[in-house]
Amino acid sequence: MGYSLKKELNLKENKKEVGEKYSHLTSPLLPYLLVLPAVMVIVLLYLYPFLASFWKSFIGKDGILSLSNYQKTLNLYRMDIIFTFGVTVLSTLIATCLSILLSVYLKLSKSWLAKQIGILYRLPIFLPYVVVAQMMRSFLAPHGILNLILAKSGLIDIENPLQFFNWVGLTFGFVWKEAPFMVLIILAGFQMIDDSYIEAAKSVGAKLPQIITKILVPMNKSNILVAATLVFCSLVGCFSFPYMLIGGKTPGTITIDIAHRVNYFGDYGVANALGVFSYLMVSLLAVYYIRSMMKKGLYE
Amino acid sequence: MFKTLKRFWLTLLSIVLLVGLFSMSIGAEKVKLVYMTAGDVNMLALGQHVLGPKFNEKFPDVSVMTVHTGPGNAGSRLIFEKMLADKDKEEGDIDVAIVHEIFLKWAMEEDLLLNYAKELETWKYITSPFAKNALGVNVEGYCMPMFHSQTVLAYNPKYLPDPPKSYAELVEWVKKNPGKFGYNGIKGGMSGVAFSVGWIYWKTGKYEKYAITGPFEETEIATWEQPVKELKEFDKYVTLTGGNVATLDALNRGEIWIGPVWVDMFLSWLAEGKLDPASRIILPEPGMPGQPMHFVIPKNSPHPEEAKKFVEFVTSPMTQAEDIVKRFNWYPGIDGSYIKDFVPQETFDTIYKDVTPEMLAKYGLAFPLGDYNTAMLEALE
Repeated sequence: MGYSLKKELNLKENKKEVGEKYSHLTSPLLPYLLVLPAVMVIVLLYLYPFLASFWKSFIGKDGILSLSNYQKTLNLYRMDIIFTFGVTVLSTLIATCLSILLSVYLKLSKSWLAKQIGILYRLPIFLPYVVVAQMMRSFLAPHGILNLILAKSGLIDIENPLQFFNWVGLTFGFVWKEAPFMVLIILAGFQMIDDSYIEAAKSVGAKLPQIITKILVPMNKSNILVAATLVFCSLVGCFSFPYMLIGGKTPGTITIDIAHRVNYFGDYGVANALGVFSYLMVSLLAVYYIRSMMKKGLYE
Repeated sequence: MFKTLKRFWLTLLSIVLLVGLFSMSIGAEKVKLVYMTAGDVNMLALGQHVLGPKFNEKFPDVSVMTVHTGPGNAGSRLIFEKMLADKDKEEGDIDVAIVHEIFLKWAMEEDLLLNYAKELETWKYITSPFAKNALGVNVEGYCMPMFHSQTVLAYNPKYLPDPPKSYAELVEWVKKNPGKFGYNGIKGGMSGVAFSVGWIYWKTGKYEKYAITGPFEETEIATWEQPVKELKEFDKYVTLTGGNVATLDALNRGEIWIGPVWVDMFLSWLAEGKLDPASRIILPEPGMPGQPMHFVIPKNSPHPEEAKKFVEFVTSPMTQAEDIVKRFNWYPGIDGSYIKDFVPQETFDTIYKDVTPEMLAKYGLAFPLGDYNTAMLEALE
């Protein structure tokens, strides 16, 4: 301990010397130069397209500043915007609850099964949405695997199967894909919590629900909210899965409509206006996410 | 020991370098033709595994690099945007591309294409009116049709021995069999768009004006209100699927009994055993649209001569017969009479069994003229 402290002090002294030695090279501009590449990437690849898309959503077909794109968007796609918001909120809520429960199980159980689940649950994280979509298409189809299993066990009539090619199937697929990702983040937070808190709670008579709601979740609140934010934002922008599952139906998601406007009409105005609605959806959570990251600071 | 090892590595390195330099100098003489293709994955397979290698066999100095942009108008849109971005460059990146009809309208407006088709040996085989006029735009000389495809209704005779033969019969039929007709709406792919456009042709009876003669008149749009309303009513009795492939899937699983599909996809699936072998097709009255896919060469193609040779190769009777008709089940891009000698009778029989050339001539329609096309899609939202 003493040795390493000494070494560290030595290092610091060395650094100071180096700093002095090369002081003629450092100018007030140097720090800015060093962050320039990173800032340029953000400005060129994120900020500029974002602002351009925002601006172009206010330019009508005749090139004049107007709200015509918004008018059209609300006329044609009002239901789709509500639908997107609804499905995303619902999927995020269900995925959050499920992932908290699974993380609690993985944190508290030391059984063989928990270990296996601990490995298996990561699988969906590595599957792209296109693959998930194709899986869900054959799994959830009216004569798909799920309905066939239910029909064979006498629960439903196959000629009158459960319909999943709608918000139900969409939510199911979203949760299946995103919950594991949330578990990854939430479980990491749970692992940081010292077992002594749980033991202390148990010794004064706390039951499992109380341990979850009074100890684990409050102590891991920021991780849970960050996971929910990331999932919410990626669901708002998800295209391939809704397109493949409910592509032709109304209501659909905003992303399907954007693709439709661009591909069939070359209409970037309405597509951008639709985009702005999705920015609005994610912006509330994005602001929260950035603030919580800032609050955390570098050294937490 | 160390020395031998060092020598070994040095020799290996110099061999690798020499081989690299050697192949580079060979490669410098070779032409790499960049061939961009829109369409489904079958188009990628066609380019990568069939046309590319076969062309390379014939012209060993030219290799073909196939770039796939995706199905439907979206795929053509990407090619258009790439060509547009290259417009002011002396040499673009694309040598030759295969695109949908709508692309021709976009590209002609921007003056991106080379007028090349009439210089080709194979121009004399082209009789299709689609090669001269695409969605109302005069494109003669700017494109060569590679194949023609048609939308039809596919059905399974096991459930449906006597299918509806017209749109009118279909409307009656779905009311008695709710959920058993399936299509992919207007956002899920072109077979759904084709069915919806066919619906408007049927209801208005103005196919000639909308698809052939024109002119475009704003006042027509208002007359579609009732047909669109009736289509929405019709939609209450049908299953909406998630795409061209999803319709075929649903048909195969017996979820739906009848639905619009592309005839080439249907025949390929049948040949691959992905559909019930009993499945059949029918072209309902008063007809549904089909469309060709065209070869185009951008004005600033880096290798225009090789690109022309490539197009000539694919539109030759031999390739048309072997690959377009026999292997991929499309209708030929060139006049069918020229390929008869190269195609066995049974192939012809398979392709024209349910939908005969006479039916095709009568009920095989075109997509509406550019402006009507856009207006119809907008009205159908």
